[in-house]
Amino acid sequence: MTATISFRARQACTIARVELRRAFFSKRSFWVYLLALFPAVVFIGHGIEAKIDRQRWSAKGFTPAALLDGIKQGETSEAVRGRLGTPVSDEKWDHRRRVLREGSGKDSEPRVWEEKREQRRRLTYFDGRRRADLWFENGVLRSKSIRPLLNLEEDRQVFAGLFQYFYLRLAIFFGCLGIFMNLFRGDMLDKTLHFWFLAPIRREVLLLGKYAAGLVAAVVIFTGGALLCFAAMLWPHDPGEVQVYWQASGLSHAFWYAAAAALGCVGYGSVFLAAGLLLRNPIVPAATLLLWEAINGFLPATLQKVSVLYYLQSLCPIPAPMDNSAPAFIRMLLSPAEPASHFWSVAGLLALTALVLVVAARASRRIEISYSTE
Amino acid sequence: MTTAEVIFDDISKFYGEVLGVNRVSLRIPPGITSLVGPNGSGKTTLMNLLTGLILPDRGSISVLGVSPRDPETMMRFTGYATQYDAAPRWATGFEFITTGLLLFGCSRAEAEEKAWKALEWVSMTEAAHRKVAAYSKGMRQRVRLAQAIAHNPQVLVLDEPLNGLDPLVRAETIALFRAWAAEGRHVILSSHVLQEVDVISDQVILIANGMIVAEGEIRGVREEIHDHPSQFVIRCRDASRIAALLFNEDHVTEIKLNDDRQGMLVLTKDREQFARALSRIALAGHEIDGVVPADENVDALYEYLIGGGR
Repeated sequence: MTATISFRARQACTIARVELRRAFFSKRSFWVYLLALFPAVVFIGHGIEAKIDRQRWSAKGFTPAALLDGIKQGETSEAVRGRLGTPVSDEKWDHRRRVLREGSGKDSEPRVWEEKREQRRRLTYFDGRRRADLWFENGVLRSKSIRPLLNLEEDRQVFAGLFQYFYLRLAIFFGCLGIFMNLFRGDMLDKTLHFWFLAPIRREVLLLGKYAAGLVAAVVIFTGGALLCFAAMLWPHDPGEVQVYWQASGLSHAFWYAAAAALGCVGYGSVFLAAGLLLRNPIVPAATLLLWEAINGFLPATLQKVSVLYYLQSLCPIPAPMDNSAPAFIRMLLSPAEPASHFWSVAGLLALTALVLVVAARASRRIEISYSTE
Repeated sequence: MTTAEVIFDDISKFYGEVLGVNRVSLRIPPGITSLVGPNGSGKTTLMNLLTGLILPDRGSISVLGVSPRDPETMMRFTGYATQYDAAPRWATGFEFITTGLLLFGCSRAEAEEKAWKALEWVSMTEAAHRKVAAYSKGMRQRVRLAQAIAHNPQVLVLDEPLNGLDPLVRAETIALFRAWAAEGRHVILSSHVLQEVDVISDQVILIANGMIVAEGEIRGVREEIHDHPSQFVIRCRDASRIAALLFNEDHVTEIKLNDDRQGMLVLTKDREQFARALSRIALAGHEIDGVVPADENVDALYEYLIGGGR
């Protein structure tokens, strides 16, 4: 029987079905779920805390926003309390510090230290949407901070940072390491790889079947995790505000975050599948690739394109927030020098993946069963 | 080159510095062929090379005209029951075989039917829906055999296939091998028990230290086996007297008395006559505490067959 493409596709599907169970339920890759769900847990925790605060403070009554905005520095705490009423939170404490006594330490005078006490106080008010923290020193207002209890713009920035610094660089990276390295290495360790080699299938078909299984599992876990996190980020916010965001750019943002997560699985998956075929120790490829991706910002533009992270960062809809005071080399580490367009990002990543899979397919033809050396 | 043979042409395989097999050239015709050799002699290496699980460093292999480097074609008509005891954790015995058959392009119904038939051949239908991981060693051996034969292969390769089988299943399995060989198929099996292959093989390939020592029809090897004196250790009180009596027997070629005079090692050319002689001595009132064969392991036979033959 001459094998046709459709026959080989059916074989790949059979392999993928078997491998899918292992990819989802393997004890070896259970920690992958923790990585994928961690950001969502962070946002859910943040949302729950905000909702609890709002509920607690709402019970104590709202302070009119205009009154909050009218508070000026230099006012006394009693005056503020008289105008704004009872705060939702009132904290007092003594602050002690050592200061040089005036006149001492000059000329031949010895340096004399004395303890200075300041009475500090923080009054917190809530106008139903914003919280105002008023900071007093010795009864006088020194600073105030008025900010929304939940800030969608701020949360989007936090999400962008979490997604790029943690999710793409660590969670998907190590998650794919766990899933894809296990596809061949797991069989070798379990001493069951010969089962596949003794079936009438080309090694390339076996590779594709296993890759498809790993990809489906990784995409479901990590794209699902990204979307869950995105939903958890929006959940505590005012529905009206969310709707406006969703209609303006939210849907597009969700799509590109999901796409970046899925394409991250495509790219890292192919690399770790190939590494699982070529190398015994997963630490070596993981460390090498992590280093390569980390120094990507320092590399010439051509070499930057031989990196999964370069394309993934280019796909992210919001640039990751960067503290202006961060050193220049840290900035280079964390942001691509010249992001590619979405089209070229997707095309570049798929081309890179295809190249790695071709190399892996060639390597698969040379694999031998030698369990005793594992 | 005929396509009805399995041909090894100047095959060498090294595991790093360690020799697997060295410059092996073989032509294996249809029928039952046994690869016989002590542990580490290269039997499994030859079988793994034949089925493409490992690749030769030198030479070429042809299985009915197809190279093992083309598993898509070759494994269609080849089945291999390996010695690897690890079982896929995900599968029941039935799923294990069915999944294999689906890769052959069988429909699910067809695959299930063939899987069930294969399990019937190895008397495993009752345990079919239990996880392979929960099987005993003998059951795993049988399910691997079932998987190897489920697609009705033209070339069946079996690494120590009778290990772990109970006598009834063993007899049924041997009958199955014979039936397959009678149909003109290749049944290539390995064993380190010469007496075992003596019973079932059409031809034998003796292998030692990665090299073919002898190959051919079983008759020649069998004669060599029968010429080989068997060794027995006898424990008794009056060793000197019993040794004198045994020396009168024609079939006894050598006797070594133990230093403690409480036993001896006897070499005999005829095990049955030796047994009868011992019975006579015991009936005559001589106390014999025990008789233990000293050369039933294959290494002892090999020392004679291979070591002596070189």
